[in-house]
Amino acid sequence: MARTVRQKRSRRTLATFLVLVLLSVTIITLDETGRAASLTSGLKSLASDVYSPLRHGVNGVLDPIGRFFAGAVNYSSLEAENQKLQDQILRLEHRQASDAAAQRQYAALQRLLATDRLPSVASLPTVTAEVTAQNISNFAATVNIDKGRDQGVTAGDPVVGPGGLVGEVATVTPNGATVRLLTDGKSQIGVSFGHQQAATLDGAGAGRLLQIQYVPSTAHVFVGELIVTSGLQGGALPPGIPVAKVTSVRSVVGAADKQVTARPLADLNDLTYLEVIQWSGSS
Amino acid sequence: MSGRVVVRILLLVAVTLLAQTTVVLDVRVGGASPEIMYLMPIAAGIVGGPVDGAAVGFLAGIAVDLLSPTPLGMTALVGTLVGFGVGAVSGGAVREVRGLPTLVALGASVVAVMLYAVLGAVLGESQFLHVDLAAVVAVVAVANAVLAGPAVRLMRWAFEPSAGEPVGSRRR
Repeated sequence: MARTVRQKRSRRTLATFLVLVLLSVTIITLDETGRAASLTSGLKSLASDVYSPLRHGVNGVLDPIGRFFAGAVNYSSLEAENQKLQDQILRLEHRQASDAAAQRQYAALQRLLATDRLPSVASLPTVTAEVTAQNISNFAATVNIDKGRDQGVTAGDPVVGPGGLVGEVATVTPNGATVRLLTDGKSQIGVSFGHQQAATLDGAGAGRLLQIQYVPSTAHVFVGELIVTSGLQGGALPPGIPVAKVTSVRSVVGAADKQVTARPLADLNDLTYLEVIQWSGSS
Repeated sequence: MSGRVVVRILLLVAVTLLAQTTVVLDVRVGGASPEIMYLMPIAAGIVGGPVDGAAVGFLAGIAVDLLSPTPLGMTALVGTLVGFGVGAVSGGAVREVRGLPTLVALGASVVAVMLYAVLGAVLGESQFLHVDLAAVVAVVAVANAVLAGPAVRLMRWAFEPSAGEPVGSRRR
């Protein structure tokens, strides 16, 4: 009797496990094959719409609490006589800190303005956004920004930062977006160098150099050469945006293509303000 | 699972997800950040057994997938396998032996991250093998080992039988 009950329970355990595994595999298949891409991306967008305000709220709550405790610790042990002086010192320190922060912010915006003067970008409408989070996953090179659909940001829009192209908008919510950085393994951008020589620039993972594919062995390319967007790939990106500089060129005997690596012009580890070029909607 | 248990599990998953995407995200060691969502199936497997471990793993995984730029269902599959595996392998011993949940969380986290990377590569997400896997594995495993104790206690609270439910009916 006990054995039968155990067997039944064991069968039920296995059945539940198999159902969950099958369900996961089905979801992956639907997402990967693209048959239900609109459904899965819609679900992701909906989840992000619901979750983003919650996350912003929690961030908003945690910051003041941290500041409150820091303040409480600083003030509680002070003598009344010294409090006035201490307050004054704190005020001055705060002012100094906020001045430094303002200077950093000013410098970041100045660097961003330099990007705006690029002839290829200057004539296009842009949305200035602030980076709210870096790399949500250990396995993807992305950043989140504080501007989304309501501000005119569309999936596929190119994003530039100080120095040059940073990546493309991957997903959009009403008031936020995820930007896939150049270094992300999924990133693939049509680029050109030299005399309109076209190639493809692939991301190879966060912190790694970019790989330039399809550079013929006969092509003239040198270390330090500037790589810009080609405007090909069906006009996915506007032409002429600076992207990277060549760091190494290797010719392999018998190979049709050269092995070329490049480093992004923008510092992808230090992104504060970004400019989203409203290209997808206009093209 | 009773309705009350489901509500508590949902609450735990939501709070852990919030912690993961706010506070934990800022903690970066060697370029990698902890992934405390894997603690959900690990703790559920230890407390409730293979079925509860798999169910909580699926739920926590799908929640992560919905907010990540990676393929939908991948974390759910890894969570299901890890939760079931922890529940099946650990038996009742983990609950009795002090310190064993920490070791189980350490080992299961290593398996979870490796499984996720391999699965991603199989699905054509080549960037999954380009990340500094050693750093990610180390950071995730150590963080989850440290937090295993509190996670198991929270999961025990979630699985606590209500007044009318028979005690000891949890582990399957």
